[in-house]
Amino acid sequence: MSVESPGRYVGGEKNQIVKPITEDMVRTVFCFPDIYEIGMSNLALQILYKVLNGPEWSSCERAFSPWPDMDAGMRERGIPLYSLETRSPLNEFDVAAFSLGYEMCFTNVLQMLDLGRIPLRSADRKENDPIVVAGGPVCCNIEPMADFFDAVFIGEGEEVDLEFTAVIKKYKDGGKKDRKALLKELAKIEGVYVPSLYTPKYENGRFAGFDIEEGAPASVKKRIIKDLDKVDYPVSPVVPNNNVVHDRAYLELFRGCIRGCRFCQAGYLYRPVREKSAKTLCGQGISIMKNTGYDDLGLLSLSTSDYTGLHELTDNLLEDFSSKHESLSLPSLRIDNFALELMEKASQTRKSGLTFAPEAGTQRLRDVINKGINEEDIMTSLKLAFEGGWSTVKLYFMLGLPTETMEDVEGIADLALKIERLYFDTMREIGAKPRKPEITVSTSMFIPKPFTPFQWEPQNTKEQFLEKQSHLRNLLKKHRNIRYIWHDVETSCWEGIYARGDRRLCDVILEGYKAGSIFDAWDQFFDYEKWTGILNSHGLKWEDYTQGWSTEDSLPWDNIDVGVTKAFLKREREKAYAETVTENCRSKCAGCGAACYKAGICP
Amino acid sequence: MNVEEQLKQMTTKLHQHEYVCRGLFERRGALSYIGHLDLKAVFERALRRAELPLLYTQGFNPRPMLEFALPLGVGIDTEGDWVDVAMEVPLDPEEYVRRINEELPEGVRVIRAVSLDEPKKSLMSVVTCAEYRIEAPGITEALLNVFSLEHVETTKKSKGREVRTDIRPLLIKPLTSSTPDSAEYMCYAGSQQNLRPDVLLKAVCETTGYSSEAAAEARITRLALYGGNYPDITSIEGLT
Repeated sequence: MSVESPGRYVGGEKNQIVKPITEDMVRTVFCFPDIYEIGMSNLALQILYKVLNGPEWSSCERAFSPWPDMDAGMRERGIPLYSLETRSPLNEFDVAAFSLGYEMCFTNVLQMLDLGRIPLRSADRKENDPIVVAGGPVCCNIEPMADFFDAVFIGEGEEVDLEFTAVIKKYKDGGKKDRKALLKELAKIEGVYVPSLYTPKYENGRFAGFDIEEGAPASVKKRIIKDLDKVDYPVSPVVPNNNVVHDRAYLELFRGCIRGCRFCQAGYLYRPVREKSAKTLCGQGISIMKNTGYDDLGLLSLSTSDYTGLHELTDNLLEDFSSKHESLSLPSLRIDNFALELMEKASQTRKSGLTFAPEAGTQRLRDVINKGINEEDIMTSLKLAFEGGWSTVKLYFMLGLPTETMEDVEGIADLALKIERLYFDTMREIGAKPRKPEITVSTSMFIPKPFTPFQWEPQNTKEQFLEKQSHLRNLLKKHRNIRYIWHDVETSCWEGIYARGDRRLCDVILEGYKAGSIFDAWDQFFDYEKWTGILNSHGLKWEDYTQGWSTEDSLPWDNIDVGVTKAFLKREREKAYAETVTENCRSKCAGCGAACYKAGICP
Repeated sequence: MNVEEQLKQMTTKLHQHEYVCRGLFERRGALSYIGHLDLKAVFERALRRAELPLLYTQGFNPRPMLEFALPLGVGIDTEGDWVDVAMEVPLDPEEYVRRINEELPEGVRVIRAVSLDEPKKSLMSVVTCAEYRIEAPGITEALLNVFSLEHVETTKKSKGREVRTDIRPLLIKPLTSSTPDSAEYMCYAGSQQNLRPDVLLKAVCETTGYSSEAAAEARITRLALYGGNYPDITSIEGLT
C-alpha cells in the first residue's frame, strides 16, 4: 500500500523507549488525535512519555491518527491501529490516554478508538477493554465527549498520571474484575473526573445541572505541579526522523501568565504563575541540545518577556551555544531594546519577522479585553526595530470580541497603516534607503471559552464574522505593503459549540464520525453544512451553545474547579464592560482564587 | 557595524580546509521510510550528538557540511551508499565510525569510512553506476524480458510534466546473483543520467504486464554505487 509520508507510521526514533511486554506491567498508549508531525511537536507527549516510562511496572508507547489515505488502507485490509514502539493494537493496552489540545480533534479520538478496536462509548466497554482517559486544556469542559471517556484528568499530569496507573495496576493484578468499581475508585483521586458518575439534567432545552452519584466529588479540582524545578523534565525527548511541525528542542520557562487577558483561556487555566529557576533551565537546555542534536532551542511559555530570569538564562545558554552553531527561538517576546539585542544574538540566521499581538484595533477594546498594551508601546517598539534593520512585521488580531463595533474593526486597518507610515518616516529620519516593508495583518475569530470572564458572552455568528472580515479586506486591499490573512470562519464557528457544549453533543459527534468526518481541524476536511444538518437532526441548534448565558445559569463545566472562582470571573466581566484594566499578578494580586494552591507567584 | 557591513562580512566566504570522512552506510527498517532531506537531518543531528569537529557552511544559516552520493528514495533500503562529512581537523576513520554509530538511530549504520584531505570533486559528481535488488514474486523473469527489448518507453515526471522517455539505454546488465523472486541489476546512476528503481518497475509493469500490485509491494535495495566509465568502473571510496 502506498501512503503519503510513511515515516510517520514506523517509529524507530532516537530516544524512543521500547520496554519488553510483561504480564504484570501497566501498559499505557499515549494517543495523539492528529498526525504524527503535529503530535511529536507536543511537549505534553514528551513529558508524560518520560513520566510513564519511569517505574519498572509502567510503560508508555505512542499512537497517532492515521491520515485519511492510511485510514482507508487500514480499514480495507483490516489492520488495527497500533502503537509505534511494539506494534501492539490499541485494544491490547491497559490504558489509552488521549491528549486534547484543541476541540476540533474530537472525531479523531473516535477514529483512533475505532481503528484500535476499542468500543467507542464508555458504557459499552467490558472489563478487559482499555481504560480510556483524556487530558489537556480542552478537558476543562469535556462534556461534548464525556460519553467516550472513562476518566478525564483536570490540570497538569506529571503527578496524577502515576497515581492513576497505580490504581490500574491493582485492578490488573486483581484480574480486572468490576470495571464500575474501578471507575469509582479512580474518581477518588484528586483531579480525576469520571463523567459516568455525573448525569446531566436539562430544563427547557438548556443544561440545568448534574445528578451526582454517591462518592463522587461535587466538583473536581484541577491538579497542578507546585514546584516545577522538582519534576522531571524530558531532557532526552524522542527525536523524530521525519520533518515535524516544530523541528527543535523545547524548554518550558514557566506555567501560567501574569497578564490576565480576558479572552485567554490558558491564562486562567494555568494559574498560578510558577517559574522554573534559570539555573535549572540552563542545565536542562544544555543537556537537551546534547541529547537531541537539534540546532535550535525554543523557549516556551505564554509570555517569554515576563520570565524574571530571562537575562541570566539567555546569557548562559548563548555563551554555550555560540561555538556549536546553535540558536535560540524566542516566541512571544515583547519588543524592547533588550529583546531586539537578544534576538540579534540568539539567532545566527537572518533577521526574521517581528510579531505583535495587539488583538484589538482600538484602545477602548484593548482595555475591554485587558490587553495591557497601548499604541504608544507598539509604535515605540516598532521604531526601535525599524532602526535596527527589521522590516517585516506580523500583527495578530481577533474579530468578534465582546462590545466590538465596526469602528474597532476599522481600528485594525488604521493601526496597520500607521505602522506602514512609521516605517517610511523612520527610514527618512535615519537616512536609510527604505526597502519594501512587509506588514501582515492576521485575524482570527474570538470564541468565548469556559473559565474566562467572557464565558457567558454570545459568540459572533458566521454572518457577523464574514461581514467584519470583508470590511477589513476592503479597507486593506489597496495597500501593497500590507497583507491581510484570515482564518476559516466555519471551523471557528463550530469550535464555539464544542468549547461550551454539553453532553447532548456526544451523539452529534458520533454521528458525524460515522458519516465519515475526521480531521475536522483541517479546513479542507471540515464540512459545516453536514455538521449543521446532524446537529439539527438531534433537535439542537448552533445558537443553543453560542447565544450566551446569564451569570445565574448552570454551566456544563460547573463541576470542574480550576482554582479561579466564578465570583472573580464575574468581577472581571463587569470591569470589561466598564473598560477598566486589571493589574498583572506581579504588580497586584487580583484575588482570582488560584492562591488556594499556595504555589508560585501567589501571596 | 551597520547592516550592510554585517551582510558583507557574513557573505564573504573564507577558505576552510576540509578533512572529509567518507563513510559507506546502510539503512533499513523504519529509517527506509523517510525521504532524502529527512535522512540528511537524521545524519546532521547524529553528528552533532556525537560532538564531532564538524565544519559548517558559511553564510546566514550555517549547516554541517555533508553530502550524499545519490539521494535515496522513500521506501528504499541500501547496503552501499556513501556520505561525505567535512571536519575541521583530520579524524581517524575508525573513531568516526564508532562515534557516529553510537548516535545514529537503529536502522542506519556506517559500515566503514576513509578519510580524505580536500577532495577536488564532489561526491555526487563521481557517481556513474548503481546496482539494485528488487524482491517480488517472479520479478526476475519480467526484468529479463525488459533487458531483451531494444526500447523501453515509459513516462516520467520532469519539471511537473509527464514526458515520454526510453529507459533501455540506462540499463546496463542483469547480475548473475539474481534468483526468480529477487532480481539484481546494474544501471546508470548519478547526476548525468539516472534510472530510479520505481521508474524501472513502472516500465516493467507497462511492457511485460507484470502486476502493479505486486510491484507496489516490492522490496527495493540499493546494493552498491560506482564511479568510472562502464565497463571500467571503480569504487567510490577513493575517487577525489
